[in-house]
Amino acid sequence: MTVGSAVLNILVFPGFLFLVAFGLAGEFVDRKLYARLQNRQGPPWYQPLADFLKLLGKENVIPEGADRPTFRLAPVFALAAVVASIFYIPLGSTTSVLPFEGDLIVVLYLLVIPTVAFFLGGWTSRSVFATIGAFRAITQVFAYEIPLFVALLAPALLANTWSISGIAAYYAGHPWLWLVNLLGFGVALVSLLGKLEKVPFDTPEAETEIVAGSFIEYSGRRLAFFRLAIDCEAIVGASLVAAVFLPFGLGLTPVLGILVYVAKVLLILGILALLRTLFARLRIDQMVHFCWSVVAPIAFLQILINLVVRELI
Amino acid sequence: MNVARKMVRWGQRKSPWILHFNTGACNACDIEIIAALTPRFDLERFGVLLKGTPRHCDIMACSGPVTRQIESRLVRIYEQVPEPKLVVAVGSCATSGGVFNGLYNVKGGIDQVIPVAAYIPGCPASPQAIIDGFAKLLKTLEEGK
Repeated sequence: MTVGSAVLNILVFPGFLFLVAFGLAGEFVDRKLYARLQNRQGPPWYQPLADFLKLLGKENVIPEGADRPTFRLAPVFALAAVVASIFYIPLGSTTSVLPFEGDLIVVLYLLVIPTVAFFLGGWTSRSVFATIGAFRAITQVFAYEIPLFVALLAPALLANTWSISGIAAYYAGHPWLWLVNLLGFGVALVSLLGKLEKVPFDTPEAETEIVAGSFIEYSGRRLAFFRLAIDCEAIVGASLVAAVFLPFGLGLTPVLGILVYVAKVLLILGILALLRTLFARLRIDQMVHFCWSVVAPIAFLQILINLVVRELI
Repeated sequence: MNVARKMVRWGQRKSPWILHFNTGACNACDIEIIAALTPRFDLERFGVLLKGTPRHCDIMACSGPVTRQIESRLVRIYEQVPEPKLVVAVGSCATSGGVFNGLYNVKGGIDQVIPVAAYIPGCPASPQAIIDGFAKLLKTLEEGK
């Protein structure tokens, strides 16, 4: 790979610019759908962009007694980790920018970094509500992360590869085998709700109890970067789930392939918006109990199914 | 004015996040502010979101006369809001002190303590009046006043 194409990959496609544009569009789709499901008009299409630009122009307040380097760097780390993980996920074809054996594990770990950044940002800002939010965020990780790992490893087990590109290629070569993974798809969607801290798993930033959770002391461009990181994380998470569980239209021309990929991501975002309209917030103990007693066993059942199917074919 | 500044100012007009602060109101104006945010009136059309923390807000919607007890708290909350910030006084009491004007425990309207950008009269101010007030305030920002 030449330096020029590497820079293009990092900055334009599928890197920073594409991800930011798609992330802001994704936030609009989520908010508009949420509004329409509540019988409201909803925000105009440019709303996420206006929010982002406005926050860039606001004053940056660092609370007294906060750990300044950590407080400043947490949003940057969150965004950087999310943007880095897009390079290992195939978009619209069966190869990503930098495929290698084991990139599934790397992506899963990169996607934990934003949650750790939320925790550190809330913890260092010295606000009581932010500390509670930070603790809830880190408690939630232990509840949803393991079902997500297990649900994503089950298709890998069947495809006999640890690379997301390899998984996508295997399922593209074996049509209808994706039906085996439907349980895992459901588990991944539920875990994604937890990862993105959306209702019903939005206890870390529950605005009616702890104001804004970890982000309570953040203002200006640091809040803008946190919001952007969450938007981009939604896209990356949906792309990961789409690449592993929805292997359709992968052999098309590049432009058509990207269109199919965008449609798949929007479908997943739509399902997440629907779930967030349908359910009310769970308490943190209910959330952990639900994840360990319902979601995790389903994920392990998926592993069992895939082991049996692997013996049969 | 360069392009970046113009874009930020456009964002400020299109995305006013509000903080609702009761400075001693009888709750009527608060109910009407909440009503304006419900799906029936849907202030999110204009990009308005209700935020719980002063760090995230751009416009403080204050209701009620400033009592002596709340005065120092009002100033403290106002100082926690990052620049640029605006204050909207919602209801007759917030604009002038209303029927409570002259009481020993009441300081008067919001503008006795902190600068106010827009006044929305009414006892209580109806959701339509509140939406109209916000729309007019955002329009003045557009004209650069």
